[in-house]
Amino acid sequence: MDFAFAPPYELPTFPFTRPRELDGDLRRHRIAIAGGGLVGLTLACDLARRGIDAVLLDEDDTVGVKGASSRGICYAQKSLETFERLGIYRRIADKGITWSVGRTYSQADEVYRFDLRSDSVSVQPPFINLQQFYLEWFLVDRIVELGHVELRWKNRVGRVEVFDDHARVDVSTPAGDYVLACDWLIDATGANSPIRTQLGLDAHPSKSADRWCISDVRFKKPLPVERWTWIDAPFNEDRAVWQHLMADAVWRMDYQMDPDCDVDVISRPEVAGARLRAQLGPDVEFEFVWIGPYQYRDHLLDTFRKGPLFFVGDSAHVVSPFGARGGNSGVQDANNLGWKLALVARGEADQSLLDSYDAERRPAAVENLAVTSRTARFLAPRSAAEHRLRRAVIALARQHAFARGLVNTGRMSQPNAYPPSPCLPQGGRSVQNLPIAWRDGRVGTLATLLAEGTRFVVLWFAPDVDRAGVASAALAGEPVALVAIGGETALATVDDRDGRWAAHVGARTGDAVLLRPDGYIAAIVNDADGASIARAFGIAIGRDPGRETLAAAA
Amino acid sequence: MRTDPNMADPDGFYAAWVAAHEGLSDEASNDLNARLVLLLANQVGERETLLACIRAAVDAGVDA
Repeated sequence: MDFAFAPPYELPTFPFTRPRELDGDLRRHRIAIAGGGLVGLTLACDLARRGIDAVLLDEDDTVGVKGASSRGICYAQKSLETFERLGIYRRIADKGITWSVGRTYSQADEVYRFDLRSDSVSVQPPFINLQQFYLEWFLVDRIVELGHVELRWKNRVGRVEVFDDHARVDVSTPAGDYVLACDWLIDATGANSPIRTQLGLDAHPSKSADRWCISDVRFKKPLPVERWTWIDAPFNEDRAVWQHLMADAVWRMDYQMDPDCDVDVISRPEVAGARLRAQLGPDVEFEFVWIGPYQYRDHLLDTFRKGPLFFVGDSAHVVSPFGARGGNSGVQDANNLGWKLALVARGEADQSLLDSYDAERRPAAVENLAVTSRTARFLAPRSAAEHRLRRAVIALARQHAFARGLVNTGRMSQPNAYPPSPCLPQGGRSVQNLPIAWRDGRVGTLATLLAEGTRFVVLWFAPDVDRAGVASAALAGEPVALVAIGGETALATVDDRDGRWAAHVGARTGDAVLLRPDGYIAAIVNDADGASIARAFGIAIGRDPGRETLAAAA
Repeated sequence: MRTDPNMADPDGFYAAWVAAHEGLSDEASNDLNARLVLLLANQVGERETLLACIRAAVDAGVDA
């Protein structure tokens, strides 16, 4: 037998604590999160970081998925920036594998190469690879450290009832069953959400015929810390192959299979071992960590909100894994929803702000679905004609730069830009986590500035002294902080000596950039003063339905 | 999308096109045309024009 298995990961287990409802305390919770996977935990940690009380229900008492060591492996810059704000970035960077170079091969030849670092001004790298359960583990540790969120392990969600202004959840535990009531319920139960199913919500699922088989492998032959993809690997019957390093020197090798293959056969260790031998040669020592066949599936809910119920992550949307747009878009969902729930829970914003979650994250999911579908199609041509078109792209890509842009082995996850909507009349786009050099000598980053409180930040480029004074007075008591980029005001001031801030956000002298707590630009107000900033803020926080007002001012 | 005559030497282009296909199997000939389309598409560049060209090519086939 030409294979061996590594000992399984030792995952932590978390204690079951008797829920207060079992002793008759039926007070309604503000926020309940169903599901303690990556996205549910990110949202829980986000709320905890903001000092908002919540309860999280998870049917298990550990991280990861039972029987599978890892799911997602690839965490994109926007997620990493979010994790810096939440306070776990250092652990991720220490444990994970930082990379930015990707290479694409056709047969034995490199046809395309990218280095994502070249477009990046963030403190965080474009990507870090890490087994998903580590991330979940760090999040749990952080939530426990922060308090505010009660993690209820071994609490299984059953029947859910949704009313206009609250939801009720039947929960079963080892100590007995109870009914949990909450103002808002977040469904983070994943792709097979039982909540979605029992409410009869159609997510329009589809399955691809394309089959793949993952082998997570540890071996001694050092490979470059890069993302390598083959469109048509000679060692895999001219089908696609992915090769990526994770933590603990474990590599993820992902092989495209014959659509008509026998799934039981291709996932046998001796068969998977033979594939590895074909790729790496006869002398390589390796041990398997995990072998798992899978099939692409996708789905998309019509709406991500149903009254007090919000759908986040895989319960709302599933795409094929190209470009790491699954987990990362779920983290973006949590990053989008957390601050809104916090501001509404504190009475600092109206309920209408919560509508913007669906208005922003559903278009993002639509975009991710379109992007990943195009990659899937490039990698699995459906006809002789499609094979011909792909052959033409690859042949030209070997010689000509323009054709490399058509080679599509995955478009890496980005923070999606948002289309115009009531809270974002100009649409919204994310700002990278630039370093901050305060005039008073302190240094920080945008993420640490955003972590100081649940509030907007106005980056005002060289504001006029009098206007700054008026604006400070006008916005006093609101969840918004004014920061000057240059100028001579009394505001907290950042010096932008190399013009990096101005270039990155696209602002000129006198402009005020209204930044949301999730690091998205809500508006850029030209020639700003107190009144125009206050108006833009009112719209962005959902208080002022006057989309026209801003359009007229612009 | 331009549909007025724009090629400097239409007969010369046609002759060169035919010559490039001479002696090729159907398979190789089709591959050549696919590569040619990509090279020409990059000369055009503009998105709306390219999509209009695809539509016009499809429509001309339907009429035939």
